[in-house]
Amino acid sequence: MTNNENQTTYVLTEEQALDMLAFLASAAEISLHEPTYYGTFRLIDAASRLMGYLLESNPELAESFMPGWKQDIDTRKVWMMWDRPAYQQFLKEAPAVIAAEIKQRQEAAE
Amino acid sequence: MSEFSPEADAFFQTLKTRRVCRSYTDQPVADAQLRRITEAGRWASSGGNRHIHKFLIVRDAETIRRVRSVAPGMLVEPPAMIVILTDKEAAERECIQLDVDQINQGDVGTAAMNMQNMAHALGLGSCPVTSFSHSGVGVMLGLPDHLEAEWIIMIGHPKPTQRGLGTGAPKPLTARDLTWWDRVGHHDPV
Repeated sequence: MTNNENQTTYVLTEEQALDMLAFLASAAEISLHEPTYYGTFRLIDAASRLMGYLLESNPELAESFMPGWKQDIDTRKVWMMWDRPAYQQFLKEAPAVIAAEIKQRQEAAE
Repeated sequence: MSEFSPEADAFFQTLKTRRVCRSYTDQPVADAQLRRITEAGRWASSGGNRHIHKFLIVRDAETIRRVRSVAPGMLVEPPAMIVILTDKEAAERECIQLDVDQINQGDVGTAAMNMQNMAHALGLGSCPVTSFSHSGVGVMLGLPDHLEAEWIIMIGHPKPTQRGLGTGAPKPLTARDLTWWDRVGHHDPV
């Protein structure tokens, strides 16, 4: 993590960044032929993977919202395979988690 | 008391208790176990006795990590994996037109199922993966042009996890749900 004026910058290693890019490009390719709703799974899984890399490279994030949110995503994303309504509800709720985090940070900075 | 032999009941129990496993311990998979699993794959049915597949065992953690980066269906990095490959040169020798052939994927599936059941019988967990970039996996594994990755079977010692079912989970399927007798829509009367 680095600090620039009022902004905190989190870092990824080159390997993590390349892995993330490879994952995103591969997910885009296989979305051409997989069931359409798999695309939602790839996106929420990408969020989990990105948090995994951030947590690996930025130990201070252990106290943030990320470990809990990543754990929640990893538990509930696989509902896509056996409980579609619960999975869809999870997706509808997921953005609120990060939205609340962003809002809280903005309010704290004001 | 079953009406079938103990061997048949034991075999059925192996089939019935196998589940896809997506969480593994760090314990390596023994080479002898991997050999036995690929032997089980070899004895799968092969349409027309064609045997146009190869099994690539991968144990190197760095290689597995690289493959996972282009395989979104690999939700974890397993201690080992077996990649089922189609040998396109062998297919050509057998006069198989892979672009329209309907047997190839069936043969890949039966080999994969044999291997997954064998892994389970050995106390291991496994998970088939088909969601991956074929071009990306080809590069990561250094595959020559005539070998095409079809399925990846992740293998390892299972780590217990909570499945965390939601409240709307459907009831488990039974064979009766899937089976009709003599005519469409006619379920087993028993």
